[in-house]
Amino acid sequence: MSYRIKKVAVLGSGVMGSGIACHLANVGLEVLMLDMPTDGKDRNVIAQTALTTAIKSKPAPLYKKEFASRISVGNFDDDLSKLADQDWIIEVVVERLDIKKSLFERVEQYRKSGSLITSNTSGIPINLLAEGRSEDFRQHFCGTHFFNPARYMALLEVIPYAGVKQDVVDFFMHYGDVILGKKTVLCKDTPAFIANRIGFFSGNKINELTDILKLKISDVDKLTADPIGWPSTGSYRLLDLVGLDTSVKVTQGVIASCPDDEYVQHLKNVPTPKHTQFLLDNKWLGNKSGQGYYKKSDEKDENGRSIILQLNLETLEYEKSEKRMLDALGIAKKVEIMSKRMNDMIDASDESGQFIKEYFSGLLSYAGNRVPEISDTIYGIDDAMKAGYAWGYGPFEYWDLIGFEKGVEIIEACNNKLPNWVESMQKSGASTFYQYADGEKQYYDVVANQYKTIPVAPTVFHLDTVRSKVPVFKNSECIIHDMGDQVMCVEFVSKANAIGDGIGMGVLEALDKAENGDWRGIVIGNNAKNFSVGANLMAVGMLAMTGDFKSLETMVDGFQQINMKMRYANVPVVTATQGYVFGGGCEMLMHTDAAICSAESYIGLVEVGVGLIPGGGGTKEFALRASKSFFDGDTQIPTMINKLKAIATASVATSGHEAYDLGYLEHTRDRVVPGTHHVLGLAKNKVIELSQAYVAPVAQQATVMGRNALGTLYTAVNEFFLGRYMSEYDVEIAKKVAYVLCGGDLTSQQQVSEQYLLDIEREAFLQLLGNQKTQERIQYMLANNKPLRN
Amino acid sequence: MREAYIIEGRRSAIGKAKKGGFRNMRSDDLAVRIIKDLVASVPGFDPLMVDDVIVGCANPEGEQGLQIGRNISARALGKEVPGFVINRYCASGLEAIWLATAKIRSGMSECIIAGGAESMSLLPMTGYKMAPSYEAAMENVNYHVSMGATAEAVAKKWGISREEADGFSVRSHQLAAHAIETGKFTNQIVPIEVEEVFVRDNKRVTSKHIVAMDEGVRKDTTLEGLGRLPAVFKNGGIITAGNSSQTSDGAAFVIVMSDNMANKLGLKPKANLVSCAVAGVDPLYMGIGPCAAMPKALSQANLKLNDIDLIELNEAFAAQALAVIKEGGLNPDIVNVNGGAVALGHPLGCTGAKLSIQLFDEMKARGNKYGMVTACVGGGQGIAGIYEVF
Repeated sequence: MSYRIKKVAVLGSGVMGSGIACHLANVGLEVLMLDMPTDGKDRNVIAQTALTTAIKSKPAPLYKKEFASRISVGNFDDDLSKLADQDWIIEVVVERLDIKKSLFERVEQYRKSGSLITSNTSGIPINLLAEGRSEDFRQHFCGTHFFNPARYMALLEVIPYAGVKQDVVDFFMHYGDVILGKKTVLCKDTPAFIANRIGFFSGNKINELTDILKLKISDVDKLTADPIGWPSTGSYRLLDLVGLDTSVKVTQGVIASCPDDEYVQHLKNVPTPKHTQFLLDNKWLGNKSGQGYYKKSDEKDENGRSIILQLNLETLEYEKSEKRMLDALGIAKKVEIMSKRMNDMIDASDESGQFIKEYFSGLLSYAGNRVPEISDTIYGIDDAMKAGYAWGYGPFEYWDLIGFEKGVEIIEACNNKLPNWVESMQKSGASTFYQYADGEKQYYDVVANQYKTIPVAPTVFHLDTVRSKVPVFKNSECIIHDMGDQVMCVEFVSKANAIGDGIGMGVLEALDKAENGDWRGIVIGNNAKNFSVGANLMAVGMLAMTGDFKSLETMVDGFQQINMKMRYANVPVVTATQGYVFGGGCEMLMHTDAAICSAESYIGLVEVGVGLIPGGGGTKEFALRASKSFFDGDTQIPTMINKLKAIATASVATSGHEAYDLGYLEHTRDRVVPGTHHVLGLAKNKVIELSQAYVAPVAQQATVMGRNALGTLYTAVNEFFLGRYMSEYDVEIAKKVAYVLCGGDLTSQQQVSEQYLLDIEREAFLQLLGNQKTQERIQYMLANNKPLRN
Repeated sequence: MREAYIIEGRRSAIGKAKKGGFRNMRSDDLAVRIIKDLVASVPGFDPLMVDDVIVGCANPEGEQGLQIGRNISARALGKEVPGFVINRYCASGLEAIWLATAKIRSGMSECIIAGGAESMSLLPMTGYKMAPSYEAAMENVNYHVSMGATAEAVAKKWGISREEADGFSVRSHQLAAHAIETGKFTNQIVPIEVEEVFVRDNKRVTSKHIVAMDEGVRKDTTLEGLGRLPAVFKNGGIITAGNSSQTSDGAAFVIVMSDNMANKLGLKPKANLVSCAVAGVDPLYMGIGPCAAMPKALSQANLKLNDIDLIELNEAFAAQALAVIKEGGLNPDIVNVNGGAVALGHPLGCTGAKLSIQLFDEMKARGNKYGMVTACVGGGQGIAGIYEVF
């Protein structure tokens, strides 16, 4: 049977509970969040306070503050009867078997039969939680393990146990993926499930190697970050963030419940590191206790920022970190290609090379030996680590990067255990864990001893699956792929996906080919972290500084015309976005027929930050959108102020949903979906849908307000200045934005062409580029990656 | 008793709303120019002598919001000169002069610039948000009815026919055309140069024109022509676009000054608002308002109707003006001798001041002593002011 979920109850309102409640509200569910009752008239203080705190927390757990109205609160004494009409009940109370079991016993009295019930436990075996429950309860029960923060961490572990119906597990695997937007990973009812089990190994192994190799924690944090494709946080800083007690608890939990685990056996012979004990004894557990492996000092550096001290693991005293150039760090800086980088780092002869080699030797071995114990598939483990720990690659993907034989070699060299199945794999002649064939990604199946296709939802599309085909077109900034079904995809491959001439040429090429060939239309999108950071600022800045305004005019006009060509093309063009969608990226999006945006799309016209206005048609587009929104009797002014504010304050939407409010997205054409991994597939579907009866839009006229709004906007800008929200130069830029939005200083409202608006937009853009202050802003951004307010 | 004298008055030409010369001109910008010209026309007058500026405006919101009176005073005379806006719909301009006169006569002010400004091009007739009270709607829904509906009600009650109304309208156009031809308004109008900026063939272009004469008059208006126009407010009604006042843009202001100050400056007074009164009537018969106000104003001034030599009766609607003439027993020959709002336009808040200025010049030309400006006012009111012209 298929389950339909409209109402969901979250039992427990701690950091995890309220985070989950918020994310369920994000995807549109009606959420009831319960916690312990309090004395007094208002008995819901705990849940209410938790919700209020969560809503205010950063990063925001809700896509949009207004979604909080989808959550109501209550308590376990007065409101359990409300469970009777919940379609899904998720338990997120304290990690104690007795407490969870007694709560389930009470829940059972109220829940409707057939309703789904899951636990968010991170460590308690699911089968123990189900003990003593009715058959209906047991059949509809499993683990659904979110990671903190629930909105942002992409992993959802689904943990079946012997008593659950298969369709319940299938449902959550699908629902988590498509509706909750998570990477759902099928686990087994084994201790710490997948991500935290591998995480258990990873953290302890790093700790061990740090001690053995006598590395400074700041060095380790540098190594276990960008060089190996991990988040920039670093291992020890992450430990401070999570809390040492929490991580020790997980370690102890795994040690207690996994006696046969070879690393557990090894750890038993390793005494608790003295620094771990030292910190635990002093209750210096990390950020929550003010200090841990790191500590903020009272001293400031030359930029006025507090100097962070690190714990010296030998002396157990806090000290300043020294800059040390480890070989592996140098290699990482120089070598972009990840497979070569990994190999070079492993081969480095200093202690950093040693560290990398020992760590990955251990990781490949440990992960390998967990198959099929914790997962039947290697991709389950890889997906869990990528989505749950934000690693750039999973263990088996690292193995593919390092090379099969080299992986085996380092495992053996470091005296780690080579998984038996790897030996059979070696014998079968297979030399990679993954391969692409027939537009599908395949994994090496340990049980069947052969490659099998990784099952994905029909809307999931990854460009890696078509990379083996000869691209339709390719240059240094973009690749045009054939996505199949006569849909092409323009993928940006420039640095940070910045838009330069190459992408411009690519788009024109795609339009030309699609309009004149056998294509349904075009998707503009990619699988990178960020859709695009905007125009190539370096190129613009160089021309401005050398005073080559002729080339600049050609460049800006060119970009405007590319966007206009997309808008009026004879084939549909659909954008798919995730991450940053800044400046020129946002302008492209607005000129396509529709956009499919991950909720985690951060869209904004941010040009003001570098002393410019959107010059690729973005300001024009806002004027046009304002015009389209006018209605008979409309005062129009609030619309104009909103449009001005969005651009003049470089507003970036903190979610796709917020982008509607800021005017970057339109409800009538653009769609926001929770799962980033679905956007390309959905965009492709959208192209197909639009292509069924596609008529290119005809040229539009915009009603611009001229002085009827310009006076108001100039006055509003002055208000920002008086309030010291804008510098004098910000005012100059904002007035240019206002000017273009109003169509200039026309004495009356008038209809004007898009080209007229593009002309005045381009003129304002070029004027600003000629200003010293804009050039300073551009230089500063290029040097420091943050805006200058001059 | 202290006296309050009107020293001088100036007005803009009255533009046709939405299509005339002031269609893109804001009323505050227009008022600033009129007041600057007005002040400059009085020798030895220092703008900083002005105690206050009172601006009548029937739609003081949107482009006319944000204390339009204060904005006008600061820009026209200097930031030291205060100003404010008043609103009694179509009576606003006269009300402003009345208020200035009363303040000066009471000794609480020495010199006030008063009048009105209105752009009907830039603002919707009922304002941007028409929102009558629910309770009012429940108590008496006829407290908020369109002006056209009141005109139909008045026409019916006082038995005014379509032919009479159209005839009166033709008269209005003819008299107005004659007045313009004979230059009767020339001295009171400040010609305004208007620069317009617009886009043609994707390029920003500018053009200039001068608005120096009232735009609404159609000399060739005929009874037959008017007779062909459809009724617009009532199925089978008599009120048409042709026998209603025109929507207009304009500004008009006068300087009101104490006798002391005028003497000191050696200025000759032009007129004096002897008395002024307002009165309420049933909102559904708004148009008959003057008939309630006129007797009050006459009695204050100790005058009889036949002491009045000339009357400016605002032609909100020809049928309404006819009803007032009929009910009030007015001598039609001295009413609107240079035409009225049907031909010349009705820039709501400005009208009372504009009619006053027209009255002064015509009375002076005729050598009249007492004259009256009267108008019906939205919401069921009337206003009447009696001037003595020197």
